[in-house]
Amino acid sequence: MVFSCIPFLFFFLPLCMILYYAVPFSWKNGILLIFSLIFYAWGEPLYILLMLFSTALDYTNGRLMERFGTTRCRRTFFLCCSICINLSILAFFKYADFAVSSINGLFGTQFAQPGIHLPVGISFYTFQTMSYIIDLYRGEVKAEHSYTAYLTYVSMFPQLVAGPIVRFADIQEQLHSRKLTFEGFEQGLLRFMMGLFKKVLIANQAGALWEEIRILGAADTSVATAWLGALCFTLQLYFDFSAYSDMAIGMGHMLGFHYNENFNYPLTAVSVTDFWRRWHISLSTWFRDYVYIPLGGNRKGVARHLFNIAVVWFLTGMWHGASWNFILWGIYYGILLMLEKYVWGKLLAKFPRWIQHAYAFLIVVFGFVIFAITDFGELGGYITLLFSFASGTLADTRFLWYLGNYGVVLVTACVLACPVYPWLCRKASMLSRGTGRILSACAGIGVLLLFILSTAYMVSDTYNPFLYFRF
Amino acid sequence: MITNIKIRRTVVCLLCIGILSLSVYLLASPKKEFSENENRYLAKFPSFSARTLLSGEYTESLGDWLADHFPQRDFFVGLKSGVEIASGRKEINHVYVAQDDYLIESYAEPQNTERITDTLVSFYDKIDTRKVDVNLMLVPTAVTIYNDKLPAHAPLSDQTTTASAIYDACGIPAVDCTDRLFEGTARGQLYYRTDHHWTTLGAYCGYLAYCDAKKMTPVSLESLTAQTVTDTFAGTLYSKVNDYSHPKDTITIYTNPADDLTVTYVDTGEVTDSLYNLDYAAEKDKYSLFLNNIHPLVVIENSTAASQDALMLIKDSYANSMVPFLAHHYKKIYVLDTRYYRDGPSSFLAEHGDITDVLLLYNMNTLDGDTGIRGIY
Repeated sequence: MVFSCIPFLFFFLPLCMILYYAVPFSWKNGILLIFSLIFYAWGEPLYILLMLFSTALDYTNGRLMERFGTTRCRRTFFLCCSICINLSILAFFKYADFAVSSINGLFGTQFAQPGIHLPVGISFYTFQTMSYIIDLYRGEVKAEHSYTAYLTYVSMFPQLVAGPIVRFADIQEQLHSRKLTFEGFEQGLLRFMMGLFKKVLIANQAGALWEEIRILGAADTSVATAWLGALCFTLQLYFDFSAYSDMAIGMGHMLGFHYNENFNYPLTAVSVTDFWRRWHISLSTWFRDYVYIPLGGNRKGVARHLFNIAVVWFLTGMWHGASWNFILWGIYYGILLMLEKYVWGKLLAKFPRWIQHAYAFLIVVFGFVIFAITDFGELGGYITLLFSFASGTLADTRFLWYLGNYGVVLVTACVLACPVYPWLCRKASMLSRGTGRILSACAGIGVLLLFILSTAYMVSDTYNPFLYFRF
Repeated sequence: MITNIKIRRTVVCLLCIGILSLSVYLLASPKKEFSENENRYLAKFPSFSARTLLSGEYTESLGDWLADHFPQRDFFVGLKSGVEIASGRKEINHVYVAQDDYLIESYAEPQNTERITDTLVSFYDKIDTRKVDVNLMLVPTAVTIYNDKLPAHAPLSDQTTTASAIYDACGIPAVDCTDRLFEGTARGQLYYRTDHHWTTLGAYCGYLAYCDAKKMTPVSLESLTAQTVTDTFAGTLYSKVNDYSHPKDTITIYTNPADDLTVTYVDTGEVTDSLYNLDYAAEKDKYSLFLNNIHPLVVIENSTAASQDALMLIKDSYANSMVPFLAHHYKKIYVLDTRYYRDGPSSFLAEHGDITDVLLLYNMNTLDGDTGIRGIY
């Protein structure tokens, strides 16, 4: 189930909230768990067993580590068990097809593809359960004794299928005691609505234009159109994914949980390093804490540092999908980060701000082209179009046509991709009481109108893809 | 941004009430089977089985059902289109929102030109052209004839080149009605504003082009009886765009008082004396009033025809509004809709020795998309 659909918004969510608030505290985790399992089973009835297995395994491992992990050696044993099984499951369900087709491609063999369909959210929940066992090994969390609480943590529907990747350490206490307030519910619902508007009114529209441009013939694609397409995909991905995080954080709030922010206006970054501090924060910090720093980070000499960056970014690319273009996309960022660290990072910081913004923005937009197109032949063709300044048409009427049709959506998207909203909130908090009330009333009416409009889009829209289902 | 606590609480309450009342209303309200505005059957409540549940089909169909039976669905669908048009969108579901209230279907890059040509060639090869005169008429749609009404910068879609390529490659003598249609733009409305078909006036222009090619004297429009049968026609393009504020169309039909017709619908066995079924004028799908909607084979006999010739008309729905003009010239017209006629026009032609003329008539938009033309021989 996606959040931006009629069954979720008008049935699942209200029913869940009513029951959740109606029962006494000791039952709340149970209600949440039942609804989360229904949520998962809605789209993936069979793979729910896999998730139950995966959580049972880590829960048991945790208990065993606590009970018998008196020596470092034993604890390492339990850790390795857990990590090996988790990664094997992930490798099998996510990468088996990819591995077979890559081997066939490399060696000309004819092995049959296993044809496994990717279980929704497996990349997210595997990383969550692994964070638990690693933190436990490091002594940063206590072993969880309640299987219900642990399963609730892993399967919690707001973040189950598309993140943010919540660490057990951040949430363990809240699983056992949390405060439910009207204030929290209100703010959570409004945050959820923001996400809904971003997804339905912006991401889907930008995505529709990207799909249209992508399938155009080379003859019909001017350089400007190709860049417009790349921009559209960037906006689609950002608004889609950050909307999902907004909705997850909002619903978490309504349920009394506090998740960390996952996006911080990444398209306004001033460097590639900065971009990765702002984009999918829960993933980049996961890799930082569980791969990069354990490997030694930047403290073991230049060669080792470069190696560590290469490993992390290869894995980051690979995490995003079982296809070579994602790995290429990871390597692209790995190389750029190395260059920023060792070649032009300091120089870049001396340039005017707008140049730094433009530099990072172009790199990001171009990067998402690699991300968007799985087929290398098609990818090569598209990149050629982006740079055919000399041989191709710079701009044509089709480009103007798209601008006219989608201009309002794209401009709105570009404005909202900048931190305009927090700026407005800051200004609003400084207003006098009277003006503040007028502004609040206007904003409130705006929210209600946008909700009606989003409903209209959900009711009539057949185009409602969700990009992060692949991961 | 909503700093005022009272206002924030009100907004949140209204959102909750809105969500809850819509969901209760959705479950409690009576359900429609068919959406008149969208011109389609709405999703049925899925039947439950373990197999569909486990494959995820059941929940997916349930989601479709909920969206299709959402309270005030027409309002919401119309709201979305209205907001999109207001925000500058000039193309919705492959339909241009053009000038003078015209909705014009865009022409997609043709995919099947070669296959269509092959089919036409093999059909044509089997015919003894000394006995039977064959003509091919590919009718351009509004996107070509009314290209001056298209919104600024709309991507060009060239039907003329495709049509010429097909004419040249298949060798069937062409009846190109493009010039007659361009000429006719001064006379009045040639295509419906809300539908992908040509109007009866557009069909008359096509008929003039056919008369030119056949060296027949056309019946003048003035000698026919005109009758306006509806002024609330909201056609297929209206249903694709769903802008409910869009003005509706008028349908005018022409009858020739001099004709004495017997119309036989072979599939149902029904026999009438009219080329129209005006019952459809009261329904949503009003274009169906021409030749009583879709029939694989219709036989039209005219006892007061201007000649003893017989025509085999192989066609799509565009021809339905041209038949009333053609009827005057032929003793007998066999109307075959190749999308539904399964026995093959080639053998039909061989079995009916009285046929003197064959006209293949398709419009450029359905020609490429429709698989029916494959059934032509």
